[in-house]
Amino acid sequence: MEARHRSKNLLVSFFLLWSFLVTPISSLSVTVNDVECVYEYVLYEGDTVSGNYVVVDHDIFWASDHPGIDFTVTSPAGNSVHSQKGTSGDKFEFKAPRAGMYKFCFHNPYSTPETVSFYIHIGHIPNDHDLAKDEHLDPINVKIAELREALESVTAEQKYLKARDTRHRHTNESTRKRVIYYTLAEYLLLACASSLQVFYIRRLFSKSIAYNRV
Amino acid sequence: MAWRSGERIGAVPSLGFLCLITCAQVGEAIWLTIPSSGTKCISEEIQNNIIVLADYYIVEDENAHLHHFCPGRNLRFLPVTSPYGNNLHHNENVMHGQFALTTTEAGNYVACFWTNGQGQEGVGLTVGVDWKIGVAAKDWDSIAKKEKIEGVELELRKLESAVEAVRNNLIYLKDREANMREVSETTNARVVWFSIMSLGVCIVVSIFQLWYLRIYFQKKKLI
Repeated sequence: MEARHRSKNLLVSFFLLWSFLVTPISSLSVTVNDVECVYEYVLYEGDTVSGNYVVVDHDIFWASDHPGIDFTVTSPAGNSVHSQKGTSGDKFEFKAPRAGMYKFCFHNPYSTPETVSFYIHIGHIPNDHDLAKDEHLDPINVKIAELREALESVTAEQKYLKARDTRHRHTNESTRKRVIYYTLAEYLLLACASSLQVFYIRRLFSKSIAYNRV
Repeated sequence: MAWRSGERIGAVPSLGFLCLITCAQVGEAIWLTIPSSGTKCISEEIQNNIIVLADYYIVEDENAHLHHFCPGRNLRFLPVTSPYGNNLHHNENVMHGQFALTTTEAGNYVACFWTNGQGQEGVGLTVGVDWKIGVAAKDWDSIAKKEKIEGVELELRKLESAVEAVRNNLIYLKDREANMREVSETTNARVVWFSIMSLGVCIVVSIFQLWYLRIYFQKKKLI
């Protein structure tokens, strides 16, 4: 497994990374129409898979808030490792029971498409199982890996905050637009209603309809 | 967000062995499934002056072997649109590609993949995307060679730049929150003023009604 990864790294020289350095991916956004799945490969059993996702609200003027997105994580064996229903965003963390390709799926129960911004990180702390028999585990490497994981959790929290901030901004923008347009519509409606009233009363007193019926 | 619409596709077959080599990279890449006739887009809101590196490849799975034999199948586009709709990167009919750019404006950047609908219907394509921005995109090997550091010192240097990134992100978040608080407060003030004004509009309109009807009835000699 290691030799195959090493040869791949040499060939894809644009992204030379050390074999035990798992750098984070950015928080990407995906538009979920019905079901959208993202796959991520977990190298070692026992790795901590952590991440978060936030439903970034679309700027819908007329409709009310979306009820939420369902989120499930499926292990390579096919069973669901983590699931969350009907939320507008959450953090998750679990220990991978085995290595392999994990599937992270978002399901949108309604027809309006939603954009989900997600971040997945797989953290690995080197331990004795990864090494060959005659290699020693340098404790400083373990400590550096733990430091990196702690820093990673700070970065993950920041990405979550940033996504939540974006969602909040969309809500604010929507509120601002609604205040302006709904108020203008209200004034227009009021003016229309009163002029309709005036016309109706005029009509009641008009001679052509009925000869002074009122 | 503006997704770019499809364009004409050529039919040049590409090297298949690259996808064998680049599939299942060292843990960072995410895989997406593209439906046989459709577009899959990923987007991210990126600030100004940030390095973006992306590497994309078709993943060799049980569906991929079908694509070698159908010449129209292994086609993908990658337009990366900037927030103003400019097409920053474009690649047709490849099985592996990469791009690098430095953002010149802050906003939402979109990368879209789609396949030509020829070949088997209903058979989706799995694409692996390795998307790195900012600190994660730094080329540590060249920095290590240039400054001649290695081992623990290099790791600590990486951690230091990660901490720097955390601090910059915090400052950015703080500015965004300040912006949003201003918008919230103006909206709050507007709600108050517009509500009072609606009461005023109501009173004005009713006075106008009464005045007009009075004039009208006086004209009709009913009062």
